[in-house]
Amino acid sequence: MAPGVGLAPGLTSFLKSLKTSAADPSVEYLISLLKRRQIRNSRPCAIATAALISKVVGEFKGNDAARLLERIRQVGRRLTAAQPREVVVGNIVRRVLGLVREVVEDNVEEKLATGSDTGRSTPTQSQDLPSRPHLNSTISQMSPLRHAAIEPIETSAYASDMSDSTDLTKRPPLLTSHTSYAPSSAAPLVNSLFGLFSQPADSSTASTPTGPNSPDGRSTTHSLNLDRLVDLSRSQQYFDLKGEVMSGIMELQEELEQSDKQIADLAHEHIHANEIILTHTASTTVQKFLTKAAKNRKFTVVHAETYPHDNEATHEVLLTGRKQDAAGKTHDDDDKWKCLTELGIPVYVIPDSHVFAIMSRVNKVILATHTVLANGGLVAAGGAHLIAQAAKSHQTPVVVLSGVYKLSPVYPFDLDELIEYGNVGAVVPYEDGEFVDKVDVEHPLYDYVPADLVDLYITNLGGHAPSFLYRIVADHYRPEDTVL
Amino acid sequence: MSIAPLSKELTMPDFDIVGAYRRILSEDSELTMPVAAIEALVEAIAASSVSTVAETLDLLSNLTSILKASIANPISLSAGTDLFQRYLITTLNRPAALNLGSNDDFKIIRNHLISNGNLFVERAKQSREKIASFGTSFIREGATILTNGGSRVVGALLRRAAESSTMRFKVIYVLSSSSSADAEGGRKTVADLRTHNVPVAVIPDSAVAYSLGKVDMVIVGAEGVVENGGIISRLGTYQMGLLAKSKGKPFYVVAESHKFVRLYPLNQFDLPIDQKILDFSISDDVKAVDGAKVAEDEGVADLGSSEPKHSAHTAANAVDFTPPDLISGIITESGVLTPSAVSEELIKIWF
Repeated sequence: MAPGVGLAPGLTSFLKSLKTSAADPSVEYLISLLKRRQIRNSRPCAIATAALISKVVGEFKGNDAARLLERIRQVGRRLTAAQPREVVVGNIVRRVLGLVREVVEDNVEEKLATGSDTGRSTPTQSQDLPSRPHLNSTISQMSPLRHAAIEPIETSAYASDMSDSTDLTKRPPLLTSHTSYAPSSAAPLVNSLFGLFSQPADSSTASTPTGPNSPDGRSTTHSLNLDRLVDLSRSQQYFDLKGEVMSGIMELQEELEQSDKQIADLAHEHIHANEIILTHTASTTVQKFLTKAAKNRKFTVVHAETYPHDNEATHEVLLTGRKQDAAGKTHDDDDKWKCLTELGIPVYVIPDSHVFAIMSRVNKVILATHTVLANGGLVAAGGAHLIAQAAKSHQTPVVVLSGVYKLSPVYPFDLDELIEYGNVGAVVPYEDGEFVDKVDVEHPLYDYVPADLVDLYITNLGGHAPSFLYRIVADHYRPEDTVL
Repeated sequence: MSIAPLSKELTMPDFDIVGAYRRILSEDSELTMPVAAIEALVEAIAASSVSTVAETLDLLSNLTSILKASIANPISLSAGTDLFQRYLITTLNRPAALNLGSNDDFKIIRNHLISNGNLFVERAKQSREKIASFGTSFIREGATILTNGGSRVVGALLRRAAESSTMRFKVIYVLSSSSSADAEGGRKTVADLRTHNVPVAVIPDSAVAYSLGKVDMVIVGAEGVVENGGIISRLGTYQMGLLAKSKGKPFYVVAESHKFVRLYPLNQFDLPIDQKILDFSISDDVKAVDGAKVAEDEGVADLGSSEPKHSAHTAANAVDFTPPDLISGIITESGVLTPSAVSEELIKIWF
């Protein structure tokens, strides 16, 4: 995208206008951009949403968490309604909502822990519970600063990488842990099997620390926390809600920027010398992944061009190594963008119809994705299902690259809702009137690939089996935010 | 558990746990086996005079083994007793977690348990409703759903879907012609759905493969959800799962999370119950099958049958094991889980 005065409406112009205009007009602007598909695809949508939400939070007056949640939620509802198939928009909104809740809970618990010796049921129990998988969640309840100390292994592996590129002096211990592995949200799961023994929400009294005498407490105390918070925040401004949420959003934005790099850092574990890799469509994530591997391995890439909706972008990527609408990312120019052929990797472009024929010689399929769903399935550029099926029948491993931000808590109840249809003229030109008259032409832009066709997901947290994704969803989103 | 060996008269209570269990089940037909078992154990604790944690746990494990020994198919029940035991161990060792008072005041905890007895039942019923509300979003306009047996959760789910919207869907119900309680429950659900203007087709087990082409999704109930994410359910569920898989139809299980049971069966014959389904014989004089024996689904089972354990399981009330790779999702009151999430939930309370 040509940066200049007569900027075409898109991500760059939106981010630019965000600097000068207020939140409400910006919401309107983003809605219109989304509706007109001038911002499309997961990453631009995620970046735009995160920037907008941070603007919304920044302009929010007061310290009332319940109102802040409602405000974000309301913006989120409008954005998702504007373009329901850009699931990432909803993901980012939910992440921020979870962030607000976490900030609230951390502070309320801190407050109560210092204020009363008895302590509330939840922290006491979850600290006492000898459940190893939840170590991180218990720590996080004490102080946000300790997050990094007990960061999950996957994330800490990147800590060093991140320190090169990010300004560590700001708040070193936070890194991505806060946003990209939201720890305390694991807590609602801790005792969920004991749910039977806990009291119904309506019967427990809220406002005193000893009130919620339900043994597992968590599920009921979520809402209670907020009620209590409203009281607390009205009476005393004892913590900086906005500041903490803003810094959380900044981490989220950092994660969006970093995720490709983090995924690419895993390339050496997955691409070996002399392999034949099949990929499709134009994806920055996949290109970076392959480029990284190309630095010290020789392999062959077979690229399905995903005609007709993505073939131009695919060709572009192969020529320049750069996806066109990754614009607006001028700040990471330090990253060398080189196309694979420049790095000495032979690349073969094939039409989608050749995928099955060539699959027997392919060692690994690497797919880019549009959205990953909670059940382990994914929505990717049209043709992905074909590739995955062909890989299945040849027992070729299918690896999907996806930032955690693309992982959605939405369960695909109705697959047809997720698939977007594009311009039919790309398939059969309208000039061919006689043909168009007689034949129904459809042009789905996306494919749903069921979970059992995928062998591995690589996110910025590491590699995961599709059946493990539920866990990452639980770590990043609060169940109460699933429905915006 | 660190239980000091206690004298015999303390450990062998005179409380009739089996009787209590049967009574609780018969009093409330909506109750599931695990919950009834928990109820019975709470009653037993109330009736006893235990005063220490160790005594309580000991009493509990004794009663549990008595109960398990007296019921023909204790898998579902053991989910409840295990859960209760784990719950007690975690809370009794840490009374502060309950916020009920000073650390060693056992009495208060005991009273808390006893006074909240019916709360558990309440919760259990709530979770069924919660599952129903989760599950209805799976049913889409124009869908055809295949289900089997007399599971009350499935019934609640379908009923909720029929009541709550103008959505049209059809149900294919696999029901055996036997007069077992399970089939009875199924017939009730069928009648109920029909009064809600939901078209229902009733088919025998043998017609599952035939009908599958018209089916959009399979929803089944479960007696127990085992550690690897598979389910133990009425005989015939496994073949439905296999067929659904081969036809690429989603296969969903609805089960409350108190049915999660710590078993790890690898095949059909690993279940810790004695089922006489494969009865090889060279003579053709067929023994009169005990058709009067009630079949179980989640509880109705043990009502009438007073015969001792290991009574022959016939095909009418037997169960089979559906391995996790056939299951698309488990709809519980805490959300839609993938089969692999089950072990995590169990690990959380056991370790």
